[in-house]
Amino acid sequence: MASPDGHISPRRYLSIFALIVAALYSLVFFTGDGSLAPKLGIDLQGGTRVTLTARTTDGQPPSNEQLTQARNIIETRVNGMGVQGSEVTQDGSNLVITVPGEGGEEAKQLGQTAQLNFRKVVPNMTMPANPGAQPGQAPGPGQQQPPAPGQPAPSGQGPAGTAPQDARTQQDDSGDQSREDAQRQQAIAQAKQTRQSTDPATQMQALTQLDCNAEDPLRGNDDPSLPLVTCGQDKQEKFVLEPVFLEGREIANASAQPPNQQSGQSGWSVNLEFKSGGASTWADFTSANVNQRAAFVLDSQVVSAPNINEPLLGGNANITGQFNQQSATQLADVLKYGSLPLAFDQSEAETVSASLGLASMEAGLIAGGIGLLLVAVYCLFYYRMLGILTILSLILSGAIVYGVLILLGRWIGFTLDLAGIAGFIIAIGITADSFIIFFERLKDEIREGRTFRSSVPRAWVRSRRTILSADAVSFLAAAVLYVLAVGQVKGFAFTLGMSTVLDLIVVFLVTHPLVVLASKNKFLSKPSVTGLGAVQRMGAEQRAARKRSASTAKEA
Amino acid sequence: MTTPETPGATEPTSVWQRLHTGTGAFDIVGNRKRFYAMFALLIAVCAGTMGIKGFNFGIDFVGGTKIQMPAVGAQGPITTDQVEDAYQDALGRGPETVQLVGAGDSETIQIRTESLNTQDVNVLKEGLFDSLQPVGANGQPTPQAISDSAVSGTWGGEITQQAVLALVVFLVLVTVFLAFYFERWMAVAALVALLHDIVVTMGVYAILGFEVTPATVIGLLTILGFSLYDTVVVFDKVKENTRGILGLTRRTYSEAANLAVNQTLMRSINTSIVALLPVLGLLVVGSGLLGVGVLRDLALVQLTGMLAGVVSSVLLATPLLVDFKMRDPKYRAQEAKVQQRRRRRAAQEAGEELPEEEEISVRDASKDTVSARREREMAAASSPAARTGKGPESRPQGKSGRPTGKKRR
Repeated sequence: MASPDGHISPRRYLSIFALIVAALYSLVFFTGDGSLAPKLGIDLQGGTRVTLTARTTDGQPPSNEQLTQARNIIETRVNGMGVQGSEVTQDGSNLVITVPGEGGEEAKQLGQTAQLNFRKVVPNMTMPANPGAQPGQAPGPGQQQPPAPGQPAPSGQGPAGTAPQDARTQQDDSGDQSREDAQRQQAIAQAKQTRQSTDPATQMQALTQLDCNAEDPLRGNDDPSLPLVTCGQDKQEKFVLEPVFLEGREIANASAQPPNQQSGQSGWSVNLEFKSGGASTWADFTSANVNQRAAFVLDSQVVSAPNINEPLLGGNANITGQFNQQSATQLADVLKYGSLPLAFDQSEAETVSASLGLASMEAGLIAGGIGLLLVAVYCLFYYRMLGILTILSLILSGAIVYGVLILLGRWIGFTLDLAGIAGFIIAIGITADSFIIFFERLKDEIREGRTFRSSVPRAWVRSRRTILSADAVSFLAAAVLYVLAVGQVKGFAFTLGMSTVLDLIVVFLVTHPLVVLASKNKFLSKPSVTGLGAVQRMGAEQRAARKRSASTAKEA
Repeated sequence: MTTPETPGATEPTSVWQRLHTGTGAFDIVGNRKRFYAMFALLIAVCAGTMGIKGFNFGIDFVGGTKIQMPAVGAQGPITTDQVEDAYQDALGRGPETVQLVGAGDSETIQIRTESLNTQDVNVLKEGLFDSLQPVGANGQPTPQAISDSAVSGTWGGEITQQAVLALVVFLVLVTVFLAFYFERWMAVAALVALLHDIVVTMGVYAILGFEVTPATVIGLLTILGFSLYDTVVVFDKVKENTRGILGLTRRTYSEAANLAVNQTLMRSINTSIVALLPVLGLLVVGSGLLGVGVLRDLALVQLTGMLAGVVSSVLLATPLLVDFKMRDPKYRAQEAKVQQRRRRRAAQEAGEELPEEEEISVRDASKDTVSARREREMAAASSPAARTGKGPESRPQGKSGRPTGKKRR
């Protein structure tokens, strides 16, 4: 940047910096929504964050396609919650759900694979969803079959979703929640009252009134111990179902079966294998309910309701219907995983209250302020005039950091969290240190007897190299952390790395030019102002001594 | 400090001034055996404690649930006993720990338990709200004032695994960087100092029983950056001071290195202070205001690591470098020449006849440890640098002043 001998024209560099700042802030003000607040993480503004880690049955890393698909599904579910600013991001093989503000409790349920239950269809209580629809298209009046030979062995992996989902406690205290939320809770309660009633008359009424095209508030919220009135997933048929007799977690494996001419099966089917407990329940149920229909209910919707032709004792079930390869595979996956293409473990779930977020935010800002103040006081005490330059540079550095922060929040969705704030605070030291390297070099030069003015370019050339290499190491550490680490680490590494880079800009374009300007100013380069008096005296002695030793050497 | 180069400056100087001006005259390289012993002891203690006592891992590693809520309820302050009762009522069993953290308005109650499922968390939060009525930001009791975080044990494992991976990758990259940037032995010395920092920081955590959280692990990695950074600066100066030293007899490698440490000492101290001040602020605010959390965890590990880092870069890295360098016969030969020149010069100053030139072997030089002369040599070495080989006037002129071994290599 500077010419090799360290002489530069300071005004040019300062104006380059001014241009950069102007460009940065015109982007801040004139692009996006022009808001001056960086995007905050939920630990600073309150909210819920859930980290879901994909778990595959074979321990292999999940494919990107699966993750993207899962992300889309979860995103749909998150949007269904209706909280502004919610998002789902992919971080390695993790999905991170963030729901800002209050009312994000539900997000903790979202990653659970959908709830699959088996209910018995109440006979003669079904009806087509739309009066005009043809009953012939109703799904799933299939026949079951004995398990096909040559079936792959069960993998032993059950579906995820270990926590019962029925207890949604949000219904109790909705006083402080948004109106929408309250309405939602009310709708659920109401739907439960009518559609989960044990009274056949109410059931019948609910069945006729049920509109399969409308959003179902009960979705995933039904009580398994009560009957349920609901629609088929394809909106063709409405059912009255008995309480859950078998839960989906009893399924050990599910797979799509290609057409098998030998056994006279013309279309694709889905084969289920139960765990031992599930297998006996299934055997009992099918024995007791031959010629009845069993409904596979996913998130309160009937996926398939096949007819039971004979008792099924082998721990297997075969669902036939109008499947093609794709739909059979899809259903098998749904049954295996819920409706997500992958099973997810909830690695981390955090709800931060708005007041705690606010307190953290304040603590972070106070800590940063104290840090800056302490550094400023120390620099003033130790470097006097140079200390003022340091403070000025730190402030300018802070200004561009803030600008970049806002822009990154807009462009790449970068959110500032508590760890990120810590990164900035720690970076204050690293930023100030670049100045210290330079100033100490300056002292070295003066100690050797040079004037302040002539020392500046020499000191700069020498310290520039050190600053660059030292910053390179810092940046390396931050970059490695950012690329490899997971979770909150990323925010910390990002802000640290960013500060390091911005620090270089400030040192090169502001601090050095300012010192050059100061060295050319008579008042500013006075020893009492620079705080370099002691060193300068030493330098003078050094000079005298050198002369002396030179002369003694000559005499000798 | 009176040195041969500055005979006029006889006024006594304080330690502060020595530090400030960088003349230093702290014999760090010369006392290296003592420092090595100190470091060896320190590392032994740290490693031993880690082995015996182990670490206090936070819930992120072992898995668990943490509930946090304001310590003020609608009926006034909430006590930990009340919380334990409410917990018992809600779940029918007791929590692991309940503690009051933070201060003032931000005072909170923290409950730690084994992993609870979502349902239990909801039941618990409800129970806590019903019996304690914690007051939210707007001054009204609200269940939203209760925060919770649940972490599965495997997640901590994953974080640790990634952190270890990051550590290894970082060390490899840094070794490559140092090997290109510095000489081989500098890279080795810097890495040894780095390992020391890791061990000592971890040891302090083991000894004091601080909770190890993912934030701690992150902090450890950033310390490495800082520690290396510090070493890089010192070694940069060593490199500068020892440029072409083999062709000169002004000072030995170890003296030049010691001078470099002294010249950068104030910078090291300043850097550490400047870096530590914000960290201290972070620690005070993080633990004082918020009690426990990311801020405190990060600050604590940084504080420990930075102290270890600056101490090791000054007292360990450079002495090690000197020892490594001195394994090279070229540097030992140079040292011998320096000693020889000094003897000759001392004799000359005393007005004695110069003895016939004798070949000084490396072994002679190593025996040459008369304490009186050492003093003088130290002083000479720690005088401010006249840039090596710069001006003609800085070197003795004339035939008699020219060191005998100069042209021989």
